[in-house]
Amino acid sequence: MTSLQSTLGDEPGIADELAANQREISIAEFFEKNKHMLGFDSGARGLVTAVKEAVDNALDATEEAGILPDIYVEIEEVGNYYRLVVEDNGPGITKEQIPKVFGKLLYGSRFHAREQSRGQQGIGISAAVLYSQLTSGKPAKITSRTQGSADAEYFELIIDTDTNEPEISTEKTTSWDRPHGTRIELEMEANMRARGQLTDYIKHTAVVNPHARIELHEPSGSFKAERATDQLPAETEEIRPHPHGVELGTVIKMLGATDSHSLSGFLREEFTRVGKKTAEKVLDNFRDRNFGREMAWQPPQPQDEADVEQAVSEATANKSKEATEAFAGEIAERVAARDRLAHHELREIAGEVADEISEDHGTFGDAVQENAVEAAWAAITENKDADCYRLVDDATSTRKDEATIEALSQRIAAKFDDDRNRLTRAELEQYVARGADMTQERDDVSVGETARENIVTEFWATMKTVPDDVPLAREVADDRNTTRDLVAAMRETDIIAPPTDCLAPITDELVEAGLKKEFDADFYAAATRDAEVHGGDPFIVEAGIAYGGEIPAEGSIDVMRFANRVPLVYQRGACATTDVVKRIGWRNYGLDQPGDSGLPNGPAVVMVHVASTNVPFTSESKDAIANVPAIEDEIELAIREAARELKSYLNKQRSAAKRRKKQDVLATILPEMATKVADVTGREPPNIDAALARIMNNVQVSRVSENGSVKLVVENHSSRSEDLDVTDIVSAEPSDLSEGTVIEMDGEWFVKWSPTIPGGETAALEYSVDSEATFDLDVSGVETAKLTVEK
Amino acid sequence: MSTDTDDAREQLIELAAEFYDQFAGGDIPEMHLPTRTKSNIEYDESSQVWVYGDRTSTRSANSVRGARKLLKAIYTIEFLADQLGADRSSTLRELYYLSESWDNKEAHFSDQDESNQLIEDLEIVSSVTREDFHMRPEESGATLMGPLELREQTRRGDRVIHCQEDVGEGGYQIPNNPDTIEFLDHDADFVLCVETGGMRDRLVENGFDTDYNVIVVHLKGQPARATRRITKRLHDELDLPVTVFTDCDPWSYRIYGSVAYGSIKSAHLSEYLATPQAAFIGIQPEDIVEYDLPTDPLSDSDINALKNELEDPRFQTEYWREQINLQLEIEKKAEQQALASRGLDFVTDTYLPERLGEMDVI
Repeated sequence: MTSLQSTLGDEPGIADELAANQREISIAEFFEKNKHMLGFDSGARGLVTAVKEAVDNALDATEEAGILPDIYVEIEEVGNYYRLVVEDNGPGITKEQIPKVFGKLLYGSRFHAREQSRGQQGIGISAAVLYSQLTSGKPAKITSRTQGSADAEYFELIIDTDTNEPEISTEKTTSWDRPHGTRIELEMEANMRARGQLTDYIKHTAVVNPHARIELHEPSGSFKAERATDQLPAETEEIRPHPHGVELGTVIKMLGATDSHSLSGFLREEFTRVGKKTAEKVLDNFRDRNFGREMAWQPPQPQDEADVEQAVSEATANKSKEATEAFAGEIAERVAARDRLAHHELREIAGEVADEISEDHGTFGDAVQENAVEAAWAAITENKDADCYRLVDDATSTRKDEATIEALSQRIAAKFDDDRNRLTRAELEQYVARGADMTQERDDVSVGETARENIVTEFWATMKTVPDDVPLAREVADDRNTTRDLVAAMRETDIIAPPTDCLAPITDELVEAGLKKEFDADFYAAATRDAEVHGGDPFIVEAGIAYGGEIPAEGSIDVMRFANRVPLVYQRGACATTDVVKRIGWRNYGLDQPGDSGLPNGPAVVMVHVASTNVPFTSESKDAIANVPAIEDEIELAIREAARELKSYLNKQRSAAKRRKKQDVLATILPEMATKVADVTGREPPNIDAALARIMNNVQVSRVSENGSVKLVVENHSSRSEDLDVTDIVSAEPSDLSEGTVIEMDGEWFVKWSPTIPGGETAALEYSVDSEATFDLDVSGVETAKLTVEK
Repeated sequence: MSTDTDDAREQLIELAAEFYDQFAGGDIPEMHLPTRTKSNIEYDESSQVWVYGDRTSTRSANSVRGARKLLKAIYTIEFLADQLGADRSSTLRELYYLSESWDNKEAHFSDQDESNQLIEDLEIVSSVTREDFHMRPEESGATLMGPLELREQTRRGDRVIHCQEDVGEGGYQIPNNPDTIEFLDHDADFVLCVETGGMRDRLVENGFDTDYNVIVVHLKGQPARATRRITKRLHDELDLPVTVFTDCDPWSYRIYGSVAYGSIKSAHLSEYLATPQAAFIGIQPEDIVEYDLPTDPLSDSDINALKNELEDPRFQTEYWREQINLQLEIEKKAEQQALASRGLDFVTDTYLPERLGEMDVI
């Protein structure tokens, strides 16, 4: 230390020299050096991120205006660069706003809004503009036409990285065939190495935005997703922040900006779910933190020496005997009526009594009241040792002996030496700790952490919140420590969860529709959870599963991740979604999972959508959802809900496959066996149909016709009841039906019979018809695999 | 073709006809077999042997497994019927390989245990023995040595053989079907069945068979059916007492058990194979103590086997409970050869005469 100081002392100019090199860094300059934070770390990735930012903006803009999105994306190779064009049919941007929206970082309408939206910080699209100007040197070309205007506005601009202001090189009006919308054209150094991610992004966007039409043209192919529904996502309500979800800095800012005078008004006006009662609860908690509580003691009991009445009358001078008696008597009576009372309560009593008796006995001024309070308080606190003993005794385990409790409680009691016995919880903890340490030291008895905590809790519960007036909103704003107390008070107060109409889940039906649109699978399932809250921000998790069909069966399944309807295509491994999928035991749900953890294998796609007013991402580039336990739990529940449906589907598939296999095998074995048996016995091969039907738990329908009488027999060899529709279409009029009905149509008679046959039972229908009549037997209601019809 | 052969063939075809009738009646073909487990054997008072109880299991074609088994059964029935018709014979192993030539892949046996078991199943349902199906095991039977003259029908005509004078050191080879033998004359006082080859050779070398007029039957471990059958015939037809001489361990007691009471696997043939009067010579756990024999400690599987035997219905006698409990107590086992620790002649000069005397055999 000494040597360093002397060295510094030798060169007096160094601080100035250093200071000369220090200057403000513009936000644009900062991001120029930290492109990766925004997802522009390489040419391949930069192109994907630019598409993503432009398409997200386009979707947000159209939805906000209630327009079904039509989005056109084109990527073209132009010399050494790639040209990206993104067009939408949104409401357009006014002439004044265009340069700011595209040419200024951190300019946006959403950062302060608590509402589910894709973009938030207002960085994305301007970062894309910045990236394009840095790599190609070309300006961004923006065309936008607002609804109803005759012409479109056309700008060419770059961002001045020193000032973070747009620098417009061309500005004119132009004609455009779209009636309204926005078009951005960027040229940038890029490559198509991330084609997979790009098409994934577009494809996944189509899945979660079934109401959008999206078209992508890139050098080696095109992709088009048609609209699957005309239903726009539910409009979201912007909500005020929830008291549990705000940071200290935000509250300081809000306090500075509020119109409310009082703290209570501030809470009610600026936060959601805070009414008069809740505000009062928050303020009480705030008082405890800011002012501390006052110790409430038991008033002296008749057997005690201390006498409030006597103390007060002795302290009251210059009053008539009757007046003094009335004053002291009334105070003593009211004090005695309390179980416990704190200093402020005593003052209140003194004030009340003074008021009430002033009519008969004249005014008792402030000074008199003050003296009375002081005297009464001295009487009340006389027995604080005994009172502390009771509290410590209640709070500690029975194993502590009397002497220890006595020693400890006396030490704690001695700490209450200020005139109001007022202290914060932190101070109380200190008192108890010091008392306990002393006891340990002097009496060689240990007072453990739990005992100390219990004692603190016991005392704190006995102490009373003070009625002091809280500071005004603007006063709090100026004091960081007071604000910290307020934020802590807000957090510790129970407040109901924020409303969820600020969220727009896709809904399970549309998740399924989206999956159906993009994946040709055999089975789809989806689940939407109810809203939950994390850190004051409500969120909803949805999950979907597609299985089988054209989805490749080799390798592990695909996990599609979405946050506020935006596909996440990078950093899969860092995402909470992936973590949750990996830790689910997929074998339970019928998917193969080598090693019982990790991504399962098989022809399946799992999608997870997290919608929130504030999705916690792991980084600014918004690639992965952070591992927040509350969100992870919901993700898991949503996936499991959908997976349960998958399981029951797969179980059905498997039992059907097993049945088919059994039938295939038995259908080859039994005839061979019959042939052999006939060979060995030297007889004709036996008819094995009946045996076969019985073996396969089949439902067998047979029609036997003899001399004009027909018998339809249904044998249910399965273990559960079956409902059948049997129709025998005959060419002559039937008669004498034992069951069912007959309908004639165009010279044919439909004998209809709908029996319900319990497992293992047989039912029969008999009727008469001309033996020459032709017939056509039709049976439905039983799956074909289980049905054997013998005619 | 003998009548026996005709009868066996008849029985097999009868079995096939049962399947045929089940098919024709719209029923699922099935076959009922006694459950072949320890818990389903019971003592038959009249024949004094252990036979299968009432519990049966059903082999039905209503499952893929069952259907395959029945298909194999009918193929095997056809094969056996043809074999009997042509008066040929084959081994169990040949049957296993033969199935490979059947046109239906589903009928191929997956291993020899399966074909062996199927033959046993067919024995049970048709009440015809394997020997009458003309099926024999791969390994040749064991040997016997002693003052016995017999006539054996061979494929090369009848032979009259004296089992001491006409045979070498190895003794007379018991044929696969001992029912082809006719006993002519004997000079024997009793039968001594020996577990191990070494002890059998020791007895023969020491001239025990001539000194005591004994027919020494070599069991070769767990005795083959032919060995057990001929032992039973020696007892029943020549009225000779049968004794069994084995190692002193739980596995050897089972060898004695299968000679005397029948085995669990072939309890359907107990009446035909078991010799309930057979007496156990030893080596008894008691002998270990009495003769102070060199021993090995019991392994865990030995202890388990002994405990199982305490539950085995065939060993539920005072004698066996005593011996087994004693062995569990001393935790030792001994081989027959352990007697050599007292000299090579100890077994023939001392041990056997003493034991046989105690048992009232000599």
